[in-house]
Amino acid sequence: MKWDVRVARSMGHGANPFRLDVTFASDCERLVLYGPSGAGKSLTLKAMAGLLRPEEGRVVVDGSTLFDAAAGVDVAAGARRLGYVFQEYALFPHLTVRQNVAFGLDKGLRNPRRDAAAPAVDRWLATLELASLGHRYPDELSGGQRQRTALARALVADPRALLLDEPFAALDSGLRERLRAELGELQLRLALPIVLITHDAADVAAFAGEVITLDGGRVSGNGAAVSAPA
Amino acid sequence: MEPAWIALGLSLKVALWATAIDLVAGVAVGFALARYRFPGREMVDSILLLPMVLPPTVLGYYLLVVVGRRGWLGGWLERTFGIQLIFTWQGAVLAAAIVAFPFVCKSARAAFENVDVQFEQAARVLGLGAAAVFFRVTLPLAWRGILAGTLLAFARALGEFGATLMIAGSIPGKTQTLSIAVYDAVQAGQDELANGLVLLTSATCIAVLLLAGRLAPSRVPGRW
Amino acid sequence: MHVGVLSSRRMASVALAFVLAFASPVVFAAELTISAAASLGDAFRDIGRAFESAHPDTKVQLNFAASGALLQQIAKGAPVDVFASADEETMDRAEQQKLIRHGSRVDFAANALVVVVPRDAASSPKTLADLAATSIRRIAIGLPASVPAGRYARFALDKAKLWPAIEAKVIGAQSVRQGLDYVARGEVDAGFVYATDAALEVDKVRVAFVVPTDPPVRYPIAIVEGSGNLAAARGFVAFVASLAGQDTMARYGFGKP
Repeated sequence: MKWDVRVARSMGHGANPFRLDVTFASDCERLVLYGPSGAGKSLTLKAMAGLLRPEEGRVVVDGSTLFDAAAGVDVAAGARRLGYVFQEYALFPHLTVRQNVAFGLDKGLRNPRRDAAAPAVDRWLATLELASLGHRYPDELSGGQRQRTALARALVADPRALLLDEPFAALDSGLRERLRAELGELQLRLALPIVLITHDAADVAAFAGEVITLDGGRVSGNGAAVSAPA
Repeated sequence: MEPAWIALGLSLKVALWATAIDLVAGVAVGFALARYRFPGREMVDSILLLPMVLPPTVLGYYLLVVVGRRGWLGGWLERTFGIQLIFTWQGAVLAAAIVAFPFVCKSARAAFENVDVQFEQAARVLGLGAAAVFFRVTLPLAWRGILAGTLLAFARALGEFGATLMIAGSIPGKTQTLSIAVYDAVQAGQDELANGLVLLTSATCIAVLLLAGRLAPSRVPGRW
Repeated sequence: MHVGVLSSRRMASVALAFVLAFASPVVFAAELTISAAASLGDAFRDIGRAFESAHPDTKVQLNFAASGALLQQIAKGAPVDVFASADEETMDRAEQQKLIRHGSRVDFAANALVVVVPRDAASSPKTLADLAATSIRRIAIGLPASVPAGRYARFALDKAKLWPAIEAKVIGAQSVRQGLDYVARGEVDAGFVYATDAALEVDKVRVAFVVPTDPPVRYPIAIVEGSGNLAAARGFVAFVASLAGQDTMARYGFGKP
């Protein structure tokens, strides 16, 4: 099983309690979490990444147990070797594109220098067509360039899987199609398992191998993965 | 004008030490208040801001009672280490640090709250530990706000008078800061000395303001 | 016609109320402002009350601080009617600066300068020279430039050629009362105060020895030039010198001038 996930947690305050209880298992390398806003998709993804601590459940990715409430296992977010692309990319505004991409390579207390040489960084910048933008700052980039920078940053550390939170939401439709296709190609080339969140049915149609539909904090339907519409 | 230079040197020394202490403590506490939710958090915040609203003489009295030889803290310090804080420049530093602390803490908390947690989350997922996240992401994005509060704290520490007056003992070179020197000179009818001291204090404050303006760097293209 | 909360009538009344509250109405009784040395605090409060009983149309306002500070206030124009200082030198300065009415100056009390130690102190110095001992680490003395008690102390120490030996231990107090407070709290090992002050904190300090002063500690009182209430001022000075006034001073430990 590539993905074996169960996360459960009560959250929300007072008047608006919210119970997250999501279970799914799949072998597919292109998993999509689909559902309306507020369904719990982001929370599920964060739980998988270690940014949210479930009260019960377990998270197993590609055979590695990253979280198991019963056994008391909780691998730190930084040690899970998962790439994460945030909805608004969360590119560090005080660092250049090169520094952003190189960020995770050194876990020390200092940021990578602007002129630091790093072959891995160069390779990824080239692959994602960002080579000429290395010394720009995030606020000088277009939406598509930012998305690719976020991708490069997530991929440079050679993650075992990639988690993407609504990666196309901030882009206009022409760009969405292009980037969807690019992501698809990239996924195939790297043979990298991907989980993607979206509320857009078109994304599902174009990209998904399998779809998990969420609503109100739970998997709607019987919890089993539903194969994508043709 | 010898006493004036001594007083200036002392005031600067006291203010710099007080600000340094406040910077470390204020950033730490400001960060904790910004990032962690715990019962009674706003109450703690209010208590920490008290020195900003309490009359300085009230603070001076509390200091005298707590840090004096018969106070619970002062007595312990004297019994254990033989240290007495009243009538020393370290005591003046303590008074100044307490009154200036809220400036750093408040601005640090606000600055940290303005840093989107997503940046910190992104850094964590990329493998960084808590300390690295703080120094590489949180602090660089918050430092401007913290700096503004720190400069205010320095100005406050430099001008501290009321609390220091009660625990200082007016010892030239040790506790007779510029503010107290002005006060003593006026009381003694030494108008020339008072005038000189006031001019010196004003010049120092203007210099600090100018330096503060320089420290906030001009906008670099591409920076946020 | 709709009259809202902010009608001009309302606003006018509110504004008037503010002005009246801020500009305090003229006091019906005549006010007499007395600036007196810190050590006269308790005695003059009693005298002030007694004076008010005898003169119901006069309200006595008392202002206590170190004599030097009071002199500065008067020199800078503070509206004071009567000035009582703790030494002749401060009054001399007042006279030089033409701040007091010619001929109104009179001595009304005497005091003794003493060295006090905290009540629970292990040992007491017996003479000025004992203050140089290592067991005495800190001594509170009023700032000589503005506090008469400090001046008397400095003078005595200079005369005994002891100032250099104890200079490093001196903690400058803003007034004789602050000096007394430091001794009472145990922050200093000894302090120079007046005998009358020492009597106020009997449970916290004790007198180690009396300091011979030259000139003796004498308190002069005078009417301030430009006083707005000459008759009452004269009456007050006379009251202080009267039997009733002298009785009160004696009660607090002051000697005859």
